[in-house]
Amino acid sequence: MNPLINETGAEILKAIRAPEFLLPTLLMPCAFYSLFGVVLSTGNTDATYLLATYGVFAVIGPSIFGFGVGVANERDKGWLQLKQAVPAPAYSYVVAKIITTLLFACLALMPIYLIAGFFGGVELQRQIWFSLFGIHLISAIPFVLIGLSLGLSLNSGAAVAISNIVFLSLSVLGGLWFPVYAFPAIMQTIAKFTPSYHLAELALAVVGAGGEHASLFNLLSILIMSLALLGLAISAWIRQR
Amino acid sequence: MNTALKTTQLSVRFGNKVALNSIDLSIASSGVTALLGANGAGKTTLINCALGLCKPSSGTVRLFSKTPGKIEAKRLIGVMLQDSALPDLLSAREHIQLFSSYYPNPLSLKQLSQRCGLESFVDKRYKTLSGGQKRRIQFALAIIGQPKIVFLDEPTTGLDIDARNLVWNTINELRHTGTAVLLTTHYLEEADSLADHTIVMNNGEIIANDSTDNIRAAASGAVIQCESTLELNIIAALEDVRSVKMRGRKIEISSRNATTSLAELLALDPKLSNLTVSKSSLEDAFKQITDNSKIAGDSA
Repeated sequence: MNPLINETGAEILKAIRAPEFLLPTLLMPCAFYSLFGVVLSTGNTDATYLLATYGVFAVIGPSIFGFGVGVANERDKGWLQLKQAVPAPAYSYVVAKIITTLLFACLALMPIYLIAGFFGGVELQRQIWFSLFGIHLISAIPFVLIGLSLGLSLNSGAAVAISNIVFLSLSVLGGLWFPVYAFPAIMQTIAKFTPSYHLAELALAVVGAGGEHASLFNLLSILIMSLALLGLAISAWIRQR
Repeated sequence: MNTALKTTQLSVRFGNKVALNSIDLSIASSGVTALLGANGAGKTTLINCALGLCKPSSGTVRLFSKTPGKIEAKRLIGVMLQDSALPDLLSAREHIQLFSSYYPNPLSLKQLSQRCGLESFVDKRYKTLSGGQKRRIQFALAIIGQPKIVFLDEPTTGLDIDARNLVWNTINELRHTGTAVLLTTHYLEEADSLADHTIVMNNGEIIANDSTDNIRAAASGAVIQCESTLELNIIAALEDVRSVKMRGRKIEISSRNATTSLAELLALDPKLSNLTVSKSSLEDAFKQITDNSKIAGDSA
């Protein structure tokens, strides 16, 4: 049997057997969106705007925690060391975690999409829904890399705390909870240096809520940040050995 | 003799600390070898080098002429690491299924269950198992790929007697199937009952490398403590006395044969008091072997 399939199966089993970690990351974005995007909404512009940003929020949770906390935990317990000693293909551990992360990202997105469509009055063309879904999944890339760097550098206790701080601060600063234009000027400037801000801008452009910048600029920013984060993750990998 | 593991001038330094100092070693491709030493002696570092988890600062390591860490080398080995917990939320069956996908000819779940005694808990989550049961699963994963050499880092530390006997029996079975086993241990007793060959390490160096029979002979005997008015040099001259020193008010005598030494001591000093006799501990054995190696080094 293929190691990657088995590895992915094992990752999924581990995740669903720890509902105390899984459920908050899956349900919190949906609950927040229902509250701010639908219940407290003043019209369907809010619902559409926040669908774009809470979708990013829903994906970066599993990305940063799955890797940050998951990897730190398994490294602490010596599991990662055993993996490196046995003939498990080097890619299978990371790729299996990425597949699992994307799967749970989808599970976190679906209820938000359903609530937006049925209760939030959000109406988008079918290809817009799919483009939005694509942008939301891409959000995993920089945050998986952040999580991996944290997981390879910190012990499991510190990883939980730091992952939470990074997750919440990048969510708020990137304008995923409240629009960036509502921020004071200094925070608006800081926001432009977060990957979450550029991902939200891309998602907003897709739903026609108009980003502040051209999408190409956002894409380029995400690409540069992701490459820098990849460098960070690789150096963390080399240092932990 | 076919060689499973060979190191040449292998040194590992972590910053200023020398973990391994110029180790030359070769381990046969069959039989059980015990690697004995106190904590920090370098046992785990040596194993990690053989597994490709630790890069040599200088010198070379070869596993069946292959470089450790390469996939061809990894397929030939089985590993049980000392502090390697398996994921808590998976069962033995699931761990075994995952590991069997790594090897070309893995043992089946049924074969492993029988050999390692997993039947009664194969579907329970790892977290809920006892220390001995966990160790049995780790052991099963070490032999799943039908390895040519198995590395066991302190396989029985913290186990109860039943679990320990089971591990010992399985190691003996490996010997009969012609698999080389390298195990590290604190326990002289473990080396004694399992190993054909024993290597003793201290401070990153190999201080003894011999058949277990010879090592045992060097370490056997007793430690006698007593209060006496006898001169130390008179005691040291007695037959079977290895060394003598003062420990507080007591004289401490390391003897190859407690019975003859005691008879001689009592003949010389009938007023001898506060007498205790204890078996040589592993620590005494190390000291003994270290002293011998120093003497050998001085006279060479």
